[in-house]
Amino acid sequence: MGLRLHIHPEAGPIFEQIVAGVKAAIARGELRPGDKLPSARALAEELRVNPNTVIRAFAELEREGITETRRGLGTFVREDVDRAALRRELLAAAARRYLEAARSLGLNPEEAAAVLREVETDAGDPKRA
Amino acid sequence: MLEIQNVHKQYLKTPALNGVSFTVSPGQVVGLLGLNGAGKTTLLKVIAGLLLPDQGSVHLDGMPPRKQRGRIVYLPEQNPWPEQASPARVAALLTGADPTFDRGRYRELLSFLEVPDRPFGQMSRGQRARANLALTLARRVSLYLLDEPLAGIDLISRDRILKALVREWREDATLILSTHEVGEAEGLFERAVFLKKGRVVLDTSVEALREQGKSVVETFKEVLA
Repeated sequence: MGLRLHIHPEAGPIFEQIVAGVKAAIARGELRPGDKLPSARALAEELRVNPNTVIRAFAELEREGITETRRGLGTFVREDVDRAALRRELLAAAARRYLEAARSLGLNPEEAAAVLREVETDAGDPKRA
Repeated sequence: MLEIQNVHKQYLKTPALNGVSFTVSPGQVVGLLGLNGAGKTTLLKVIAGLLLPDQGSVHLDGMPPRKQRGRIVYLPEQNPWPEQASPARVAALLTGADPTFDRGRYRELLSFLEVPDRPFGQMSRGQRARANLALTLARRVSLYLLDEPLAGIDLISRDRILKALVREWREDATLILSTHEVGEAEGLFERAVFLKKGRVVLDTSVEALREQGKSVVETFKEVLA
């Protein structure tokens, strides 16, 4: 099972962190369409959180069309899940944080983009970065 | 449904509880948070029916705790068993005497919590805490009151206890857990009731708190300092 979640109680609602964690796992390909999620109870145990919090997170994932419940079988990643959209969503969030950092340093978006290209050239092999 | 209404309790001249009111619905896990001396233990004992309030009332599904004895279990902070007693001996004692005691569940809990079969007097604090938790959770009741189940014990025991609490959580049972060390347990709480000098100073949904960008630990410092 490719779902590794890390919960930080000081970093906002736990149910949102679980939702974001599942989405990130799908975006990164750790969870694939058709994969089964752990049961709410098992995940609650692993994360040491209230089972109701996990149930709420699973309901939200279903509402957003990320997962589906198959009766008696459990919760699964939907076959038609839009992985590209999730990836974009995640990257856009990272980009917003980057832009914010740039702005706080007094750099405009063009300068920030230039730095990004520079870093990429320097890094060469992305695994080294 | 547990209803606590305007509970006052005084020891000699010192007030321990000063008009405490809140209600808890079945299935809720409530953190009762406060510094030492805030009145947490007194409140739990009043809810358990071990102490009578001077004023105010406690009702579990419409009846006072003393009429609901078979539906409430209270885990005191101190080990309540004699040093010579072992978990197996206590179980033998409770089987039959306490109809809520589920022996099969107890066995599972002892093994999950890795409790050694030796007298309480020969156990470490963590082992004793785990043994007592097994004895508490092996009771099939509606209301579980745990007084500082994580205090003063090792990290591994604390983690095992938290895991057991999540595992044993049932939709129809209410759990109230008092603690002055919030950190590790906060994910478990649905709701936090902050007690200061015998009064409720804050009663909030824990996730709602986080939505406002605050953690339970931060709030603890803010509200109780």
